Amino acid sequence: MHHSATLNRTFFALSDPTRRSILERLAGGPATIGELAEPLGLTLNGVKKHVGILEDVDLVVTAKVGRSRECQLGPAQLQEATGWIDAYRRAWERRLDRFGAYVEERR
Amino acid sequence: MIDELRFERVIDAPPDVVFEAFTTAGGQQAFYGQDDPGWIVESECDLRVGGVWTVTFGPSRSHLYRHRHVFEVIDRPWRLVLATTEFRADGSTLDIAIEFAFEERDGKTHMTMTQSGFPTAELRDEHGRGVPNAFARLERAIHARE
Repeated sequence: MHHSATLNRTFFALSDPTRRSILERLAGGPATIGELAEPLGLTLNGVKKHVGILEDVDLVVTAKVGRSRECQLGPAQLQEATGWIDAYRRAWERRLDRFGAYVEERR
Repeated sequence: MIDELRFERVIDAPPDVVFEAFTTAGGQQAFYGQDDPGWIVESECDLRVGGVWTVTFGPSRSHLYRHRHVFEVIDRPWRLVLATTEFRADGSTLDIAIEFAFEERDGKTHMTMTQSGFPTAELRDEHGRGVPNAFARLERAIHARE
């Protein structure tokens, strides 16, 4: 029940193109609310609202830095991404291992 | 974000043997094979510049991956350059360049595989740091719910 509710909220959070743009921007590194607002042509309050929705489902985390609020991708997302690269690399490593073993066994 | 991935192996056989194995069925089956029972590998290779090497592989008929390689450079037995498209299980594709180098070292082969040309923006956004395939999956999931 809880899982399903979270999933629904995550789908809702991601269904908005502005929020996806925010995630795309944050994929390149952390940004303050102001830095997010400018290229999107949004007010600070508008961005805060979107970031709040993303933060609610752990897609984004925020922290107060001086007078600004800095946003970055949530830990779950980074974990997923790291996992993807690791799996990709491992798959190709295994291919070379198997191929090398095949050639050497044939000799 | 990935710019280039490089893999290296020393194989105890001269480059002409390694090259020959890599460009024929047995070696290609080994490259894409797995020890899992029932694992499928089907490879069709037209070894010429502009020719296509297609490999379909996976644990079962209902769960297959496909790699399509186009030979851009064939410098037997030293070098192969491929334009590769990975067709992923989630329906997305990934286009990369793969270069294989077969260098002789004391009668053995130093084999290098270099992957480059990752679509950096896409990878950054979908795979590299952010949301692996999430946007594509999300779009489908949202449409499915509509």
